[in-house]
Amino acid sequence: MADPRDEALAIAESAVRALQAAGASDAEATVSIVDAFNCEARDRALTTLERSRGRSIAVRAFAGTRRATFSSTDLGDAGVAELARRAVAAAAFVGEDPHAGLPDGAPSDGVCDHDLFTVADDVAARGDEEKIEEAMLMERLVRDADARVANSDGSRVRSATASWAIANSRGFRGVTQGTSVTRSASPVVHDGEAKRIGHYGTAARGWATAEPAQAVALHAVHRAVALVGARKPPTMRVPVIFERDVAASVLGDVFAALSAANVAVGNSWLADRVGERIGSERVTMVDDGRLRGGLGSSPFDAEGVATRETVAFERGVLRTYLSDTYWGRRLGIASTGNAANGGVGPSNLFLIPGTGTLDDLVAQTERGILIVDTIGFATEHASGIYSRGARGIYIEDGAPQHAVDEFTISSTFPEMLAAIDAVAGDLRFDGTIVSPSFRVAEMQISGT
Amino acid sequence: MITALDPDLLARVLARALRRGGDFADVFYEYRLVQAFRLEDGQIRSASSTIVRGTGIRVVEGERSGFAHSDDIEEDALLRAADAASLIVRDGRRRDAVVALASVQAPLLYEEHADDPADSARYVDLLARADVAARGSDPRVASVNAFVTDELQYVQIADSDGRVVTDRRPLVALGVQVVAKDGTRRETGYAADGGRTSIAIYDGRTPESIALESARIATTKLAAADAPAGEMPVVIGPGGGGVLLHEAVGHGLEADFNRKGTSLYSGRIGERVASELVTVIDDGALEGERGTVAVDDEGTPGSRKVLVENGILRGYMHDRLNARLMGVASTGSGRRESFRVLPQPRMCNTFMLGGSATPEEIVGSIDRGLYAASFSGGQVEISKGDFVFMIAEGYLIEGGKITAPVSGATLIGNGPDALTKVTMVGGDARLANRSYTCGKGGQRVPVGVGIPTVKLASCTVGGNARG
Repeated sequence: MADPRDEALAIAESAVRALQAAGASDAEATVSIVDAFNCEARDRALTTLERSRGRSIAVRAFAGTRRATFSSTDLGDAGVAELARRAVAAAAFVGEDPHAGLPDGAPSDGVCDHDLFTVADDVAARGDEEKIEEAMLMERLVRDADARVANSDGSRVRSATASWAIANSRGFRGVTQGTSVTRSASPVVHDGEAKRIGHYGTAARGWATAEPAQAVALHAVHRAVALVGARKPPTMRVPVIFERDVAASVLGDVFAALSAANVAVGNSWLADRVGERIGSERVTMVDDGRLRGGLGSSPFDAEGVATRETVAFERGVLRTYLSDTYWGRRLGIASTGNAANGGVGPSNLFLIPGTGTLDDLVAQTERGILIVDTIGFATEHASGIYSRGARGIYIEDGAPQHAVDEFTISSTFPEMLAAIDAVAGDLRFDGTIVSPSFRVAEMQISGT
Repeated sequence: MITALDPDLLARVLARALRRGGDFADVFYEYRLVQAFRLEDGQIRSASSTIVRGTGIRVVEGERSGFAHSDDIEEDALLRAADAASLIVRDGRRRDAVVALASVQAPLLYEEHADDPADSARYVDLLARADVAARGSDPRVASVNAFVTDELQYVQIADSDGRVVTDRRPLVALGVQVVAKDGTRRETGYAADGGRTSIAIYDGRTPESIALESARIATTKLAAADAPAGEMPVVIGPGGGGVLLHEAVGHGLEADFNRKGTSLYSGRIGERVASELVTVIDDGALEGERGTVAVDDEGTPGSRKVLVENGILRGYMHDRLNARLMGVASTGSGRRESFRVLPQPRMCNTFMLGGSATPEEIVGSIDRGLYAASFSGGQVEISKGDFVFMIAEGYLIEGGKITAPVSGATLIGNGPDALTKVTMVGGDARLANRSYTCGKGGQRVPVGVGIPTVKLASCTVGGNARG
């Protein structure tokens, strides 16, 4: 079969021509082709096998400073022609917007294609039967690891190769490719009348750098078992330690406030605060689109702007927002290469790690709670309020005492970032927003 | 532009899918056109459209599902996908090809919707009216964002039982987000309305009324105090409070979790799971509602299911796979986000039936507590039933009266536990207007939620007030 990168680029270029033919003054087309494999085993048997090749196109049509966007999975010539016609017609109904337009600067010369090591050779090399065997292996491991494991919600292995191309009417042509793999397991333990599922998964560019199946299965069992017998903690104000996956979800909320799109419309507690000290000395947050092997790495962003390393917080001080071309123009800043489909997205956003392990953080905490999981989406980006349901371990005298659940932790983002007083060294790049474990000196716990 | 697949082609694809054997196969073809406009600060900032066109092919054998999809709908591509899906069959008991396919007409539960979306000017006008209304309502309204979406999904589902079912599903939504500002304080309000109908509904349920509701919530919150923390009686407001029911009870009654034994409700049909005041229904056959399915994504008609009756667990929500494995009939709950993914058992419109109390009696029975008028989101953990909700609009209850607004409040609890603490149920049951979308396994589908005014004798409130 032809190289999907060639196919993607050819369709993108023909879509740009169709948009111009339909009357667009400027045009951009992005085509992605994803080949994916997914299998799931449960109860020591294969349950799901999925294979897919998904193709899609997204275009932007400009009529002067008016703009419309269109996406489709119909990539035939007739489909692309209809898409072009509709997109140009819709642009006429959009208001004049002086900030709308393609990125500034000269287009790159010819086809831009650096892989930044985002393709792992071992993804193409591995056969389907091997992946199925691995899912079955994780099922066996979770069942055998601990007598309390009574059931499973399945173990999954996925892999994908994504190819994408961008072309625009100013002459930019970019094409790139990336691989990704994930392994996950979900053992179930009985806890009195109730059950607890211990989800755990890992993601990486290739099999060699992903956590091995055995480690994923055992970690999932550990998560399920750790919360057995949990009870509500008292309502109190204590230090809270965020285990790294939960810490990453906090960073995800901080990213929303760093996004120029939210800042520009006033839906960010970080609006108008560049240069201010927001976090503690330990808060240095970096977004790096060129990190080798990072899951968010790419030579250029979704509108063809070169990716780069951006320091968003430096020792607690807010240095810049993360932006694409449009929202950057609204705020009067340059794009940071963070255009994502339909808006602003992270590339590889992380908090610079400190030293020591999660256990060290626990040992250094007189009385507090270690959060291993949160539920709910209870954050408000305009006001900066943070409040989520949580599960974890109660700590006293620097030692874990018992599991706790059915409580909330709350604070505000400014207060939380300012109160980060310890950061562990356990950072791993297994997502596009990642964090080491950290401690917040004081948060409100609502329990009994 | 909306094209159907040829029934003979569907029959050939099904035959190919079952070539290695298998209990069942189906082909799900969809063509969906979505038109969306967004207004921001007085200007139409974006117009966007989406076409989703493709086919998903599934082969089922026992508990196993093989699946492949194709955005290319030419015969070669569909046969390749059928081959890929058939690889799930491990012990290859060959079965005969499908008999002739017969068309089945879906019930009519939606207003007629034209193939082509309305003139763009009509959407633009709706948003401009919402913007003017929100801005004019209060000088503290700092920014207004509004969107309108108009969607038509055509589906054609053919299966190895010999049926071809088609359905044309309209879906509209109009939402307004208002940010109100007072000094350095910002608060957000949100309101929306829509359903499986055409944009003609906004002639009656006007964009102005949606905008004013959103502005009222945002400006009310400017005066809000930090929410209290700890256990207290909580009153859930009618309509939008139904999210709590959806999360705390609904998900745990979806058949996949119960077949696998991962839900806390597994194997408990006939048992008491809630106060006798609680009767919970999921209804996919309500005309025009957002969660309605004339047929689900497996071609089964939507239906009314009694999930909990006077506190007793009566049944689960089934798709075909789980129904067959559990020896019952599908309840028309097999739903999928698109042709790219397998169907799952999902809720449609989930609500609690009304009781005999008045809202005033319910609030009047509480000396100190919280009134949750609506929620902005929630989540449940299926295996144990723990839930969390963020209260979008909440108030203190003091001395039997609703008093000061509070912000940043969450409710946290355990579904079955909360249901036993339902001590009063109002007669004011209704479905919420808002445009709820439910996520499960990475798939998002439109749903309806509803509830009457309900008193929980106690629930944990997560707030930031220093107690």
